[in-house]
Amino acid sequence: MIKTERILHLKSCRGRKVRVVREHYLRERVPCYSSLCQAGCENDGKVLPGDLTHYVIPDAGVSGDYLEILEFRELQGIIFTQTSCQGVQHSKGRRQYKRLRNLLKDPRHDCVPFANEFQEYSYCPREKGESQEKWQTRCVYSAAVWYYNHLAGMMDVVMITEDQEAVAQYSSLNSGVYVISVQGTLNVSKHRAHSEASIMTDGLSNKNTDLSWGVLVCGGKNRNRAVHGDQVVVELLPKSEWRGKDNTLAEGQGEEKSGEESGSKPMPTGRVMGILQRNWRDYVVTFPPREGPPPQTRNTQRILAVPWDHRIPKIRISTQQADALQDHRVVVRIDSWESTSLYPNGHSVRVLGKAGELETEIQTILIENCIHVPPFSDAQLKEMPVNSAEKPWRMDPAQVAERRDLRESHLVFSIDPKGCEDVDDTLSVRSLAGGKLLELGVHIADVTHFVTEGSLTDLEARSRATTYYLADRRYDMLPSVLSADLCSLLGGVDRYAMSVMWELDAETLVVNKVWFGRSLIRSSYQLHYELAQALLDGEQAEVPELAGLGSEEKDSKLAQLTQALEMLTHVARHLRAQRDRGGALELEGVEVRAQLDKDKNITALVPRQPLEVHETVAECMIHANHWVARKIQETFPHQALLRRHPPPRQEFFSQLVESATAGGFTIDTSTNKALADSLDQAVDPQDPMVNRLLRIMATTAMSQAVYFSTGLQSLDQFYHYGLALDRYTHFTSPIRRYADIVVHRLLTAAITMDRGVDPGKALASNKELEETAHHINNKNRAAQQAQKISTELFQCLYFKERDPQSDQSCVADAVIYSIRDNGILVFISEYGVKGPVYLRNREGQVVAVGPEGSCEWQSGSVRRYSDHISTTSSCGTSTFRLFDHISVRISVRSTNCHADTLTLEVTSNRPLLSAGPQQPRSQGRSQLVQEVKRLAEEAAQEKAARKPKVSKEEREFSQSKTPNLYSLLEEIRELALLDLEGGAQVCETTA
Amino acid sequence: MGNVVQRQTRGALRFQLFRKMAGLELLSDQGYRLDGRKATELRKFQARMGVFAQADGSAYLEQGNTKALAVVYGPHEVRGSRSRIRHDQAVINCQYSMATFSTAERKRRPHGDRKSTEMSLHLKQTFEAAVMTQLYPRSQIDIYVKILQSDGGNYSVCVNAATLAVIDAGIPMRDYVCACTVGFVDETPLADLCYAEEGGGVSSLALALLPRGGQIALLQMDARLHQDHLEALIEAAMTACKGVSKVLDQVVRQHLQEASVPSAE
Repeated sequence: MIKTERILHLKSCRGRKVRVVREHYLRERVPCYSSLCQAGCENDGKVLPGDLTHYVIPDAGVSGDYLEILEFRELQGIIFTQTSCQGVQHSKGRRQYKRLRNLLKDPRHDCVPFANEFQEYSYCPREKGESQEKWQTRCVYSAAVWYYNHLAGMMDVVMITEDQEAVAQYSSLNSGVYVISVQGTLNVSKHRAHSEASIMTDGLSNKNTDLSWGVLVCGGKNRNRAVHGDQVVVELLPKSEWRGKDNTLAEGQGEEKSGEESGSKPMPTGRVMGILQRNWRDYVVTFPPREGPPPQTRNTQRILAVPWDHRIPKIRISTQQADALQDHRVVVRIDSWESTSLYPNGHSVRVLGKAGELETEIQTILIENCIHVPPFSDAQLKEMPVNSAEKPWRMDPAQVAERRDLRESHLVFSIDPKGCEDVDDTLSVRSLAGGKLLELGVHIADVTHFVTEGSLTDLEARSRATTYYLADRRYDMLPSVLSADLCSLLGGVDRYAMSVMWELDAETLVVNKVWFGRSLIRSSYQLHYELAQALLDGEQAEVPELAGLGSEEKDSKLAQLTQALEMLTHVARHLRAQRDRGGALELEGVEVRAQLDKDKNITALVPRQPLEVHETVAECMIHANHWVARKIQETFPHQALLRRHPPPRQEFFSQLVESATAGGFTIDTSTNKALADSLDQAVDPQDPMVNRLLRIMATTAMSQAVYFSTGLQSLDQFYHYGLALDRYTHFTSPIRRYADIVVHRLLTAAITMDRGVDPGKALASNKELEETAHHINNKNRAAQQAQKISTELFQCLYFKERDPQSDQSCVADAVIYSIRDNGILVFISEYGVKGPVYLRNREGQVVAVGPEGSCEWQSGSVRRYSDHISTTSSCGTSTFRLFDHISVRISVRSTNCHADTLTLEVTSNRPLLSAGPQQPRSQGRSQLVQEVKRLAEEAAQEKAARKPKVSKEEREFSQSKTPNLYSLLEEIRELALLDLEGGAQVCETTA
Repeated sequence: MGNVVQRQTRGALRFQLFRKMAGLELLSDQGYRLDGRKATELRKFQARMGVFAQADGSAYLEQGNTKALAVVYGPHEVRGSRSRIRHDQAVINCQYSMATFSTAERKRRPHGDRKSTEMSLHLKQTFEAAVMTQLYPRSQIDIYVKILQSDGGNYSVCVNAATLAVIDAGIPMRDYVCACTVGFVDETPLADLCYAEEGGGVSSLALALLPRGGQIALLQMDARLHQDHLEALIEAAMTACKGVSKVLDQVVRQHLQEASVPSAE
């Protein structure tokens, strides 16, 4: 026996710190309780069998936290070290410790204790400054190493720990002991729900890059009752069992996910070992129609209801109303999932209505995205100021005195979509100092004046986080008295505003001065985009505000307005050019608007039309957001709410690069500037769709922009990749976004502090702000998802009413943008629909192309190449290349339980000619005019930039940037449908 | 034995817990005690005799972390009041004290407090039974014992140290006096308790034994114990004391060897 001493620092009963020295005796022979022992340990009592694959040694944290799991009798060969036992005793208390002791005593359990701290060679003294957890992990590791050596390497020893650092540190040591810990979130594949799921590991700082792609979980058995969204622990299968993702198009596949690997190279495959955290929410299910006669008795029946979401397994529900609920959509909750059962058990909560009805479907979308938008309560409405005909709302004189009055001095106007009710941004521009200076103003509705922090309305707005826009309706974040009236900066009425005003040099457009503050405005004109564009183009347009005036007065006012608009456009072009040089991206999303008539019937699906004035307004808003972000970040370096757009992962670009290469273009994705430039150059002069598709692919590869609190990220993480701005936030739409309200409050506090006054109320701390940001991010994602699904719903409704065989509008021109094993993915620009087209159907028949391009099903085979796919049948071989135009027929595939989906079927491998030859071209003329203007601006700026200092390339390589090719490309680029709103999802060109 | 490694553990541990005796497990299921000993194992002994030349006999003894210094003067004439003189035997005068730095918390320990007086008395009784006092009538033997570091079993360490010192002084004794503290936990007697065990609510028993004859010089116990267990406990204590005597014998023999070698030269 060897005596050592351990010195402990204990607290005495009087709370003083005491240094205590305790003896510690080590011995060479400590029984190992393994039947494999060669050294002749005195193993009496329980002994671990020798025929196991490995022994498991949990560390202190794991033994404490997962004792319930370790208690399973199925787990054999567990060695509890003395260190972890004591760890359990101290961190978990006596009860847990007792459980552990009983476990060790239980003869049915294959687990043994090991007094590692009394073993001479496995004991490691605690080092100075070492934390207790670290020391415990080290002790357990050294015990594991001892075991391995003690058993002469005959048994593998696995140590389990949650300490990622330990995993990294010890797994690299070559001692025959495996140190593991893997956990992540289950992400069930949307398309092959029954066979595939992937786990994205989060925060796994493993050097092992194999796992960065996630872990594949194949089959329902390996998934082990985990449901989509659960946090699970996975075990990696041996490398020989790794599989690749299935790359064929499965029936019912809606749309391919970004980042899906095109090659089916084997990836880490595993199976779910346990579920850390259930993430069950309310699910919408449909009761299946009954087969057979109704039963005589009205007893409870157990019904397997089918969830709307493909990723969720069927849920077993026992109900008495099974007959009444047939074909109804019902909200259910999952209660439990027995290990012996194939399906989880649940109970119904609420009936939504009959499947297939619009109202039901919309409710379904909302619930599936966890959006709760009850009508505003009376208590909330009571907080609102009143504005009725009898009691009109008036400004508070105290507020009037406090605010800067812009009503007389400035020409303020708003530009919004037609019929917009919630006008939250207005603009003003004027010349100062005899034309030497320009004053640009952005005036935002002062929502925070009405919504005080912590009020009921504020809480409700916070929980909604955003206004939800669905295809046919919207759910406001604020009560309509605010959103459509008192906060809305309508024409001709006095309103409170938050203003940002820049003083610009009229020539160089350099910002001289910025002013932030609260103001009073009266918007003179409430324009809509089309009208503003018409005014800019010098076309005849009727401005409603001027309708009643005499012609002379009207002309002068009109001239004034037009001049302001022109000035604004000029500034916006400059700003845009500036950002473009920084590498701002112009991305592309697909979006269509359903035009509804009075009875809510869909008359047409129209892609949104971009106008230059859209961009002008957006640019001003981006500018305002940027400056506000700078202001609040400077004032509150640790607790400002900003928005960042992280650079996308290069792997996600693989599909884009592949497709582009197939089309003969090169895409450089290294930086946003390089990407923007290479996207600009990847243009097929024959087909504007190519560029548009590449942009769509680039957009899907992007990561999402997110809100965050500045205290949590380092300064270089603030960068907004899409907009190429170092700091960015949301400030300009407080009526429909809660983040803007937070920013408004921060800005107000910053202004107060500038005046030297303490802002009074304490601001949200970094942590609270981060929580808020997280919440808003989640809600935004849900809102986008809901919007997307509702658009799809309306697409389906549109085509549902048409007979695919006879109606011409069901046949459309489509472009191939990706190739799969048994089909192609196409994009239909006319309707903004993306979808798969199968070249081989379930019977194994393939599409054969007849002599004049018509297609029919015949038996044959399909071969896939990197840039084309070809089918061989008795009629010969036909090939579909990337970026080919083909004709497809759109039909709706109705399902009872899920959302309807569109099915595309190839009718001809030639472009559809009858469809109005490429819509964009028809409206390209007016765009060209603007584009030329913009290019001139850009070129001028380029020159201006060159004058003070020659750009780096020029100095080094004597390269000049001739605008010729660039402008040509720009021109063609503009022909493609620019989609401002769509871009907003990722790069938010709108504000 | 040997190879002493010092080990530091920082971080406040749970003194209160072990004070309350809620968590601390004195004897684990595998039969280990807190410090890694088995139930019957003694702590590590380290001893030196003749540490002071000035005194007639002296010894330093470490038993685990309990360290004691014993010094013997005499036999000499009785000092002080002459009434104490015994005509047939020597008077044994014991004085026990603890250094201020001997415990975890520094504490002034004045002479003559109740605890040390009691301890002195116990020591005196022990040695009156062991030393052949009748050989030195009308004289006095002084035994001073000081605890330098206290970690449980103070009495037994003092007795053992004093034995060595008395031997060093050349005073004849009937036998070694060996003492040991034993405790009773989970139906098992634990030999040679350390401080944590003593404080842990164990019913402990101190026994001083003259091992060769098996005579008990002193038995002291002030805790509750079921009568049925007493026999086993005393048995365990006697075994432990016999173990101690072996160690002490070894120490004395080694000392003699060392002492005789230079004189032979």
